[in-house]
Amino acid sequence: MTVIKTVSLTKRYGTLVALSNLNLEINEGDCFGFIGPNGAGKTTTIKILATLLQPTWGEARICDLVVGYQSRQIRPLIGFVPDYFGAYEDMVVQEYLEFFAAAYNINGPARAKIVNDVLELTDLGYKRDALVDGLSRGMKQRLSIARVLVHDPKLLLLDEPAGNLDPRARIEMRELLKELRRMGKTILISSHILPELADLCNKVGIIERGELLYSGPVADILRRAKTGTILHVGVSSNQEQAAALLSQDPNIEHVSANNGYIEISLKDDVKDWSFVPAKLVQGGFRLTLLKEEEVNLETAFMRLTKGLVQ
Amino acid sequence: MLGVGDYLWRLLPANPILLRVVETGGKRKRDLAIRCAYLGLLVFFVIFSLLTQRAADTSSLTDLSNASRAIFRSMSYLQLGLVSLLAPIFTAGAITQEKDSQTYDILLATPLSNAQILLGSLLSRLFFVIALLVSGIPIFSVTQIFGGVAIGSIVLSCAIAASTALITGALAMAIATFKVGTRRTIFSFYLFIVIYLVGGYLLDLLPYFQIAGPKTAGGQTSHISWFTGIHPFLALRVALGDAQYQPPDMGILPEHLRYWPVNWYLTNPSSFYITATSVFSLLLIVPSILLLRRLAQSTNSFRGWILQKLHIVKGDRTRKPRNVWYNPIAWREAKTKASAARASFLRWAFIIAGSVGALVMVIMFATPAALPAKYIMPGGFNAVARTLFINGDTTYGVPENVQVLRIGKDGPQPGDLNMLGGRYEVAQFDTQLTRKGIKELKSITLGPIPRRLSADDARNGLLGAVILEFAVILLIVTNAAASTVTREKEDGSLDLLLTTPITSRYYIWGKLRGLVSFVLPLVAVPVASVTIFVMYDLMRIAGGSDPTFQWIVFPEAILIMPPTLVIVAAFASILGMQMSLRCRTTVRAVMSSVGIVAGISAVLVGCGQGLLGTGGRGGNELQLALAGFSPFTLVALLINPYTLSPQTFTNGYGGDPNGARMFMVVSGFAATAAYAAVVWTMYKSMVKNFDMTIRRQSR
Repeated sequence: MTVIKTVSLTKRYGTLVALSNLNLEINEGDCFGFIGPNGAGKTTTIKILATLLQPTWGEARICDLVVGYQSRQIRPLIGFVPDYFGAYEDMVVQEYLEFFAAAYNINGPARAKIVNDVLELTDLGYKRDALVDGLSRGMKQRLSIARVLVHDPKLLLLDEPAGNLDPRARIEMRELLKELRRMGKTILISSHILPELADLCNKVGIIERGELLYSGPVADILRRAKTGTILHVGVSSNQEQAAALLSQDPNIEHVSANNGYIEISLKDDVKDWSFVPAKLVQGGFRLTLLKEEEVNLETAFMRLTKGLVQ
Repeated sequence: MLGVGDYLWRLLPANPILLRVVETGGKRKRDLAIRCAYLGLLVFFVIFSLLTQRAADTSSLTDLSNASRAIFRSMSYLQLGLVSLLAPIFTAGAITQEKDSQTYDILLATPLSNAQILLGSLLSRLFFVIALLVSGIPIFSVTQIFGGVAIGSIVLSCAIAASTALITGALAMAIATFKVGTRRTIFSFYLFIVIYLVGGYLLDLLPYFQIAGPKTAGGQTSHISWFTGIHPFLALRVALGDAQYQPPDMGILPEHLRYWPVNWYLTNPSSFYITATSVFSLLLIVPSILLLRRLAQSTNSFRGWILQKLHIVKGDRTRKPRNVWYNPIAWREAKTKASAARASFLRWAFIIAGSVGALVMVIMFATPAALPAKYIMPGGFNAVARTLFINGDTTYGVPENVQVLRIGKDGPQPGDLNMLGGRYEVAQFDTQLTRKGIKELKSITLGPIPRRLSADDARNGLLGAVILEFAVILLIVTNAAASTVTREKEDGSLDLLLTTPITSRYYIWGKLRGLVSFVLPLVAVPVASVTIFVMYDLMRIAGGSDPTFQWIVFPEAILIMPPTLVIVAAFASILGMQMSLRCRTTVRAVMSSVGIVAGISAVLVGCGQGLLGTGGRGGNELQLALAGFSPFTLVALLINPYTLSPQTFTNGYGGDPNGARMFMVVSGFAATAAYAAVVWTMYKSMVKNFDMTIRRQSR
């Protein structure tokens, strides 16, 4: 089932085009990582999906309901976590969650039970009496996630949930999101921390200057970003001689020796690189390292985008 | 020597904070517009006054100089009024702006000294007000052309205005340095200044605070009170030679008031005000300079420390959760505002001060000033034996034909025998001997036993207190309403709510309900004050028949006031919310809402007073009914009808008090219904336009 579908979604602020003909499709259970430089249009997209902004052109649907026309029906289906914490002074954690539960018309004993469950899930039970203002940034982000879970939404729209978090809080946040994914939630998450997105998401979308450059499975983008095979080879001594030996091989495009190891670029059509260690051993060199360079999301992102900002 | 000079040079003329403001301040269009408006107002005022004087065929030099003096006086009041209005606006921002703009820490990390930072901030904020004062001097000088105004008076007038601006700025800086303030403190700061200025002026009018006894050299009774020397407008009245505010000479002060500085305070309030405010400013500035960096380093605020010591808040950051209502928006408005330590403290202070004030007035009204030499008490008259015991004298017989007179406002009036059962001073009596040799009364003249607070003073005092409380309630609720949506826009929590199923109708109704719940305990204060007086009046009625009995407050006030006050508070709430919805920032929303509510109140008061004034006897029944649509006038009519509409409400003048009272009741409820209709219409329009307005602002 398609949870999010946008067709030619466009948003203009005066002459500035924040989003241009965005076509996106996210299915139930997907965890979709939304990647792009600052000002690319990620937050605008999320805000439109969260019913906070009206598109200038195009259409966005959530569970087949049209944003802007059926917003009232959409709101119970979504949970929106912005890139800031909507602070309420003089509220403790439990009141904060009960406040939003009441906003979703959850009252009576059901409200208390849900709040307890959510506090347990987000590991905030011991903080139920703590004033929201006094929580650390990591705790506040967890509370934000807890907030959007009180009404058990189908879709979570998370805008930079791990921004400015320390490493431990970030790891805890990642584990929490993995748990939510296991629970079957559809998640749209924007983040600049690409290794974590690669670990968490099954699909990604790359956006730049309001235009969607790629949308699809993570494995596909990694495959697409991979242009050739690069090997990193380490030898115990005589690094320059080893490099000179390898550079004579017709299957090798380029060899360079630096930082204690040799970087080898194979020709495009060469897929089997078992000849490399064989040749070095035959040449009397002792191998200390042999590794194929991996293409990660960061590399893919750098290759696909041009660093253009609005 | 060079070092001291260099230090002083860098402290003020070359202070980088001050220089930045001086260099950029003059170029801002907004500042230019305010300056032009201020000077334009002064120029218009001078020209208008001169033209009206000319129209009055003023030709002699003496008349011209008198006219010039009158213009100067009015201009001085205008100038002080503008400074009192503008100085808090420009200086209050100091309370949080450095923290808000996050430049404070950067400034503290520079080699600038504490004095440079504090004086630079203070003077840069006062720069605009000082620039206004200086730019007005040439216009003031116009009054010199015709004479009649001493240069000393101009200097004194400007000095009072400048010292008022200085103390305002110093207070704001001290609040900022000692971390006593939050964003909400800005409003409390304005409120404090308004209450101080209005309250001080009202208290000065009460004879209780006036210095009894001293007369001026000219033999006039001086109006100087204990507030004159600490209130800018009263000090200015003295400086301008107001006939009512001629300070007494030292020689005619009572003996116990002749020691320094009390004698200075009473005989020269203007110079005392300037000196005292300057010294007090210095006392605020010096510790702020000394402790600036030290306090900036501390993790706990001075306010937090005080609140912890008073056990108003605990040091920890936890609290037992409260039950959230079905309407969370209403719950948040009502509960989180009310339970915030400072708001709670202020609310209780307001409630306690209002209740204690009303009780004190009732007790003063109930207590005789001093027992007269001869008086009668309930129980002194034996109707069976027909005898009357006069305290301070003896028992006399009371014949059927005894002549009883009572002292009223217009001298002795015929009274009746029932008065002998009351509590009265015996002003005079004649006796005669019966055939049996018993002394019996031939005539007796009775007067009221003077109270510590006369009935008129009690009404005036109660009216002043209720009006002040009403004004404060309106200011508080307007501020709360005006900040309610903008605050959520600023901190981003509105976006969170807009993604929930909460509809605009639900949201606005919740806000309105919460605001009214928040303000209900405050509304109870003036109602309770009035109730205390009504209860006492009922006890007086139950205590004995008094033909001269007059209500201090009509009992129907208890019925009319609560719905009137609540619906006017709801009106201020919905108006504040309208502005809060339209404006992007809290400060702009609060300023415009308070301005509109104050403007509407002033217009309604003017209309009410106008209607009562045109009837010749304080308004006929129809005019009374219409005047009831002005809430402040209605409250004033309920509490002090004898002053506002004397001929209608005083027996013996052909008026019909009961008919007028009936009209007032009907008009009070009709006004409440009318305001309710207005609130409902505004609410519906707000609900309709909510989404469009919010989305238009979304970026």
